[in-house]
Amino acid sequence: MTTDVPSSLGAVTVTRGRTGRGSGRRRYQGREVAWAYAFVAPAIILFAVMGVYTLFWGLQLSFVRWNGLTPTWIWVGVQNYLDLLWASPVFSPPVRAAATNTVWVMIAAPLLTVVISFPLALALNRTRRFVGLLRSVYFVPYITTGIAVYLAWQYVLEPNGAINTLLGALGLGSLAQPQGWLGNPDTALPTLIMIMVWSAVPVATLLYLTGLQTIDPALTEAAQIDGAGWWRVNLSVVWPLLRGITAVIVLLNLRDALQGFQIFLIMTDGGPGDHTNVLGLQTYRLAFQSELAPTLGLASALGWMLFVAALVVAVVNFRVTRER
Amino acid sequence: MNRYLRRTARTCLSIATILALASAATACSPGGDDQANGDNLTMWTFKQSHVAALQKAAETFKQKTGIGVTVEAITPDDAFLARVQAAAQTRSLPDVFEVHTNGDDFTFGAAGLLEDLTEEATWTSRYLPSVAAEGTVTERYYKQSQEKGAKSAGIKLNQRFSVPLTIGTFGIVYANKERLTAAGVTGSPKTWEEFVAALAAVRKVRPDDGGMSIGFQAPTTGMEWLMQPMAYGKLGKEGFTGLFSKDPAKNWTSPSGRAVLETYDQVTPYWMPGTQTLTIDDADIAFAQGKSSFAIGGTFTLAFLVQNGMKAENIVTFPVPSPSGGAVPDLSLAPFALTGLSVSATTGNKDGAVKWLDHLAQPEVAAQFAKDALDVPPVDLGGDPTATLGPVLGAMIGSFGSGAQAYNPGDTTHQPPSYDAAVVARSLMELTPLKKADVPTAGAGLQKIIDGYWAGK
Repeated sequence: MTTDVPSSLGAVTVTRGRTGRGSGRRRYQGREVAWAYAFVAPAIILFAVMGVYTLFWGLQLSFVRWNGLTPTWIWVGVQNYLDLLWASPVFSPPVRAAATNTVWVMIAAPLLTVVISFPLALALNRTRRFVGLLRSVYFVPYITTGIAVYLAWQYVLEPNGAINTLLGALGLGSLAQPQGWLGNPDTALPTLIMIMVWSAVPVATLLYLTGLQTIDPALTEAAQIDGAGWWRVNLSVVWPLLRGITAVIVLLNLRDALQGFQIFLIMTDGGPGDHTNVLGLQTYRLAFQSELAPTLGLASALGWMLFVAALVVAVVNFRVTRER
Repeated sequence: MNRYLRRTARTCLSIATILALASAATACSPGGDDQANGDNLTMWTFKQSHVAALQKAAETFKQKTGIGVTVEAITPDDAFLARVQAAAQTRSLPDVFEVHTNGDDFTFGAAGLLEDLTEEATWTSRYLPSVAAEGTVTERYYKQSQEKGAKSAGIKLNQRFSVPLTIGTFGIVYANKERLTAAGVTGSPKTWEEFVAALAAVRKVRPDDGGMSIGFQAPTTGMEWLMQPMAYGKLGKEGFTGLFSKDPAKNWTSPSGRAVLETYDQVTPYWMPGTQTLTIDDADIAFAQGKSSFAIGGTFTLAFLVQNGMKAENIVTFPVPSPSGGAVPDLSLAPFALTGLSVSATTGNKDGAVKWLDHLAQPEVAAQFAKDALDVPPVDLGGDPTATLGPVLGAMIGSFGSGAQAYNPGDTTHQPPSYDAAVVARSLMELTPLKKADVPTAGAGLQKIIDGYWAGK
């Protein structure tokens, strides 16, 4: 039975009760609907305040000049966006440099994650002994990633750290970095990308493993009967079947590369100089590291540009995976 | 689900939900309880090393007035400023702040967050004359606030937004005395050339740990603590201020600017490996632990070094020296107020807050605070501060200079109004220590940014 609630609560058609064909429907009492609204209201209010309101407040902020303290804003319109893109000789050069670094991270981190995690998942899937132990070991970087791990990496990477010491012990001292791996402007960004990959590989491997276990063994057995070797089976049969998972992994890593900045803030703060600055960190700098200069609007504008970029990436990814 | 709940249960659940939301809302105003209670003041500082000393001073204040003070440290500076921004929006500011004098205080004051203490600060005669007016909007700060893009836009002439708490200066070189002696350097360098020679001598004897550390992760350290004092000594006040101007005959692209950069670049071979990745504290700790033989800091660095195990008697300190033939051959450093105390405009107990500021300016309280925090107080402690504060802090006070021969890092009136030193200093790092740019390229890079600030962009 379908019916309407009393007009004071708005015309809402509701269904309840048993599922299945022929299940009965009844008219809810006004009191029941009121209680339903009362229970949902906190979530709606929270979403309205924490989500919708802040979203539009942030959008409005991107068109003003403000330092977070003064009672009034100065409306500047789209000038914040123009300043970040090209108009300001102070703000646009670091944004462009950060964008270049961000693009490198967006290319390298997902690519390396896939290149490492797919073979690793294949190997783990074939392992017969110590499977649980090995999976746990490979998953450790994910569950321990955080400030403590980044600080630990700093010690490993410093001039007298473990990596330089190890290289020296192996007779590869010429590869060591006398200024530390984060102190050399040429190695700092690649080093941070490797740590990001190290953090991302566990989840990617787990996703690939899950995908591998859903593949019907008959498919790979058929390929083997047709004479395909291990490489051929994995590249021509397994890899295409896991393309959807690859798309998810790439998307997750692209999102991290575009919006994540914790590793850059904690390990280098964008240094040495400005050589590991990325767009996420530049947004943080404009918001909270500008010594109360009125740059919160610029930070918001950069945040919105990042949001649009992330949206484009998501749409492209969606279309690519849908076509497949 | 609701039809399975009894009426009383539903009522209880509703009340619980309302209470939970209400408590969440009230939790958004952390200072509420304290501010509502006139017998207790809240104070925020961004210096962890000041907390214990302030709490000790608060004990005597409580005995004297009956008013307690709860001191909270919020570090680092960025987190402190972000917290103030958030508290300003929710009107949950503390009663008293510690602020960067002639910086945060003017910005907060311009935003209406602080009380004007012009009438209340009746004790400023207790301060050293050179810093007594710090925290007051003088003609030069008022003029600066009227420039386009100024952070302090809105302040008015003669307003006082803070009173000094600590004074000092940047540009102090700390050297390991034993290592200097072992390298044959027996006296403090008197010129920049002698300083570079001392760096070379120690590095020659100790190739692994003979270098100089500074916390380049905060890039302003290299620029403001080392290069700028040297530049002032080399060019004099007029030449130095010209570096930050729009005039190509005087600024960083001029022959004078290039000469300063070439001189600064002379220290490049002597940086401690990896110093470009260190924070300020890390760089000081490296010196205290013997990983470097020189460190650059300020008067405030001494306390941190001692706290981290460095023996004071093994430290040689001297101001960054002037190059030979420089415009100011006997360069000294003028003290200025580093931090001050401000009263929030939203305090419910202004009288109590002002009494607390007055209490901290009492000579005996200031002296005790200085000894507890190992920081230099602004209060005039007489002709022999060593007798009151001990030899280390006393000697530091004795090294201060004044007049045209003294470089004052606190005077920033020659800089563009919206100048962000961190942005400029990151560009300078390309020259040293990173060696990614030569002198002309580095000079052009600095000037491009500074011109942008002058243009108000």
